[in-house]
Parts: sequence; structure tokens; C-alpha cells
Amino acid sequence: MKVGKVLRTCTKLAKYNFKVRTEGSYIGIMWYLLNPLALFAVLFLVFNDRLGGGILNYGAYLLLGIVMFNFFQQTARESTGIIEANIEIIKFMRFPREMLILSMVIKNAFSHIFEIAAFIIIAVIMGSSIQGIIFYPLLFVPLFIFILGVSFLFSAVAVYFVDLDNIWIFISYLLWLATPIFYEIGGQGRLLLFNMFNPLYYFITIGRDIVVYSRIPEMWLVGGALSYSLIALLAGLLVFRRLKGRFAEML
Amino acid sequence: MKNVSKRFNIGLGKKHGALQRILSFLSGEDRRRYIWALRNVSFTSKPKEIVGIIGYNGSGKSTLLRAVGGIYEVDEGTIRTEGKIVSVLSMYAGLNAKLDMVDNINLVCTLLDLTSDEIRKSFDDIVEFSGLGRFLNTKLYKFSDGMLQRLAFSIVVHCNPDVLLLDEVFQVGDKTFQAATAEKLDELKKGGATILFTSHGYSDILDYTDRLIWLHKGKIMMEGKPEDVYRAYAKTDSFTV
Repeated sequence: MKVGKVLRTCTKLAKYNFKVRTEGSYIGIMWYLLNPLALFAVLFLVFNDRLGGGILNYGAYLLLGIVMFNFFQQTARESTGIIEANIEIIKFMRFPREMLILSMVIKNAFSHIFEIAAFIIIAVIMGSSIQGIIFYPLLFVPLFIFILGVSFLFSAVAVYFVDLDNIWIFISYLLWLATPIFYEIGGQGRLLLFNMFNPLYYFITIGRDIVVYSRIPEMWLVGGALSYSLIALLAGLLVFRRLKGRFAEML
Repeated sequence: MKNVSKRFNIGLGKKHGALQRILSFLSGEDRRRYIWALRNVSFTSKPKEIVGIIGYNGSGKSTLLRAVGGIYEVDEGTIRTEGKIVSVLSMYAGLNAKLDMVDNINLVCTLLDLTSDEIRKSFDDIVEFSGLGRFLNTKLYKFSDGMLQRLAFSIVVHCNPDVLLLDEVFQVGDKTFQAATAEKLDELKKGGATILFTSHGYSDILDYTDRLIWLHKGKIMMEGKPEDVYRAYAKTDSFTV
């Protein structure tokens, strides 16, 4: 199938899934924003004068970190149940399984766009200069590819290990604490070393450089983010294609 | 379909967690025990042909359709198909109860690989065929089972299949709808489609099929003229074959 047709089909499915999620809810898409915005409000109140005291534009720094991490965390979590959630399609329909994953990531990208819009509004209210937001799409593409790769991997493995969801909740919590979202790494050598192996560190740092500080990110960060995107996509697709033939039998 | 065999590993536990699976593997508990659902099945089906597959529960009918539809990978043999395959192995697959009828037609047609233009062209025909035009903006959770079946069936028969796979879904709707269904299947057949459908063996299968295959315990027992195969099948029961 051609790439254009795949993208059109997946975007259409994503729109329906997005509609289903907001269906019957009075506040609709506000549900998507509630979690990151509430988290931001609490962390900002608690840390603005402490951990964030020495960080320029701490509000924008914090919120962008939350929004980017949230996109990854929520999508990865949803991917652990996406095959089971589409059991009727997997067991009874001839539909490319990869497109279920792609449409799920696109659906979450819609919510990410709403979160970025909320970020822009709040950053402007807080007086932060965020002209660099126009370059965010350049970062969004490798971030999307990275998340897509992780989703392929998690969705396939979760069919065989049904508690991956619970394991992921635990791991993502640790990852949340280890990633410099509400603090700066500063001179903490061991934390920096850990974050060299943390793809989210690269994406979030580049995002802040571009959007919050309007500066060109360092090349090693860009190289790291692109490498992680490519590795995640290749590894995810490899595992997914190896395991997908047995999905219908395993459910 | 040539010498196709399909087996299932019934020793492999489903719904196991990571720790349980690792412990089962290390202790040797997770043994590989297989059951053959299809064994050396070979047959050919041409365009403009309706082939019925009969057999008792567990004979391998649904597995055969899923193998043809690419839903199951086969362990041995080869399956070659040409054109667009549409499988209706469950009447409700793809439908979403929280969406209305218009959205569901769009959604299922998209899942069945129709472009937006094709959906627009088929939309009115689907609605008319289903006879549910008054419920276009009604959410599906308000539909009865009969209405859901009519809608689902109307969608799939309008998705221009080259190969249509129907699993135990022939008894849909009232007599009028069944007559319309038979007419539509005949129209698809004349248009060049190949239709494979399974049944427990109701005699009305004879009204639709050009050829009948009797499947038992994963093997083809008999294949040929519908009357001959059905007569042989009807003489048996599931315990004596």
C-alpha cells in the first residue's frame, strides 16, 4: 500500500478514535489537557522558588517538559493494550496490524497538538518568549517516529506478556523522575550519564533549546535524537513483524 | 490452497504475565502441545463461484477462512489469492457502539480498504440495502442485534470484494432481507467475485452454492456437487464420522 494512502487511512481512523474518546463528555478535549496542566500547576507552585529558582523561564521549561513526556508516556501505555482493545479487528478482519498502531499514535499526536496549544497560551500569559515554537515541527517528526517505534515494540510484546502495562507504569514513573523535567541536571555526573541512554532527555532538551531559549541545539543532541528515532522504529517494526502473525491466536 | 496445514499450540498459555511465562519456561511446564486444525487441505476456487464449506463444530471451517483471509499464518502449504479479500468472520467486527450509523459506515468501509471517494459512491446503496435510513444519526448502542447485522452485512457486500469470506453469517435478518442478501451475493458472483462461506449444514446452503466442501477434523472429507456432498454429510453425525 502506498505511504500516502496509509497515512490518509490512519488519520481517518485516528479521527474516529479521537471522537469516540471525547464522545458523551461535556468538557470534551479538556480531559486531554487536565492531567498535564494540573501536574504543571502543582509542580510550578512547589518548585518555582526551589529547584526552578535558577532556571530561566521556568514555567515554559517545566510545561514543555511535561507535555513532551506526556505524549510519550500516554502513547506507550496505550500501546500495551492496543491489540487487545482491537480484538475484533485482529481476530476477524483482514486489516494491516501496523496501521492500528500508527492510527493510535496519530490520535495521541492530536492530543499533543492541543497540549502544545495550551503550552503556547500559558507561556504567553507568563511572559515567556517562545518564537522558536515555529520550529517545533522539525523536532516533532523524529519524536513521533521514536514513539511509533516504541509503540510497535510494546504493542507486540504485550500480547505475550499481559502484565507489560503494569510493568510500564512502574518503569515510566522511574523514567519520569530520572528525566530532567522539573529540575536541571546541572553538574550531576551520574544523572547525566544515565540520561545519555534516555532518549527523552535528548528530545526534551532540544525542545527547550528551540522553543523556550530560541537557540540552536548542540549537534550531539540532534544526532542522539535522530539515532534513537531510527533505532526505535527499526527495532519496533522488526519485533512487531516477527510476532504479528500469531496475534489472532494469542488473543 | 495447496497442502495447507495449520496447527495451534494448546500448551502455550494465553494471558500470562512476564514472570509467569519465564517461570513456566524455566520449569518446563510450558510444554509445546499441538493440535492440527487443518491437515493437507487443497482446493481451488475460481471467480464467479460460490463455495460452501460445511462441517461440525471444530472441523476447521473458521480456521480455513481465516487462513485464506490472511488472519492466520499457515504452518505448511501455500495459499494464493488474487484481488481484494473481504472477510466477514464476525458481524460486529469494526463497528463502534459509541458512533452513529454514518460514522460507522465510514469507519468500517475504511477498515475494508475503501477510499473516501469509494465510500461516498457506495454510501447511499449501503443505507438503502440495510433499510435503516431512518437511523443515520442514531448511535449504534441503541440498535438491536438484527439491525446491527443488517448494517454490517450491507457494508461488506458493498465493498467491492474480489474474494468474500463469510463465516456462519448467512442467517441475517428477516425473509425479505435474506432474499435481498441472496440477490446481492448473486450479483457479486456475476460481477466476478469468489465467495466462500461456512455453515453448520443448513439445507438452504444448497440454494446458494455452486460447490460444497465437507470438512471434518481439519481434513476434506468430500468435495463436489452441493446435493451429493450435503446428502453424504447429512447421513452422518459428529460422533460417527
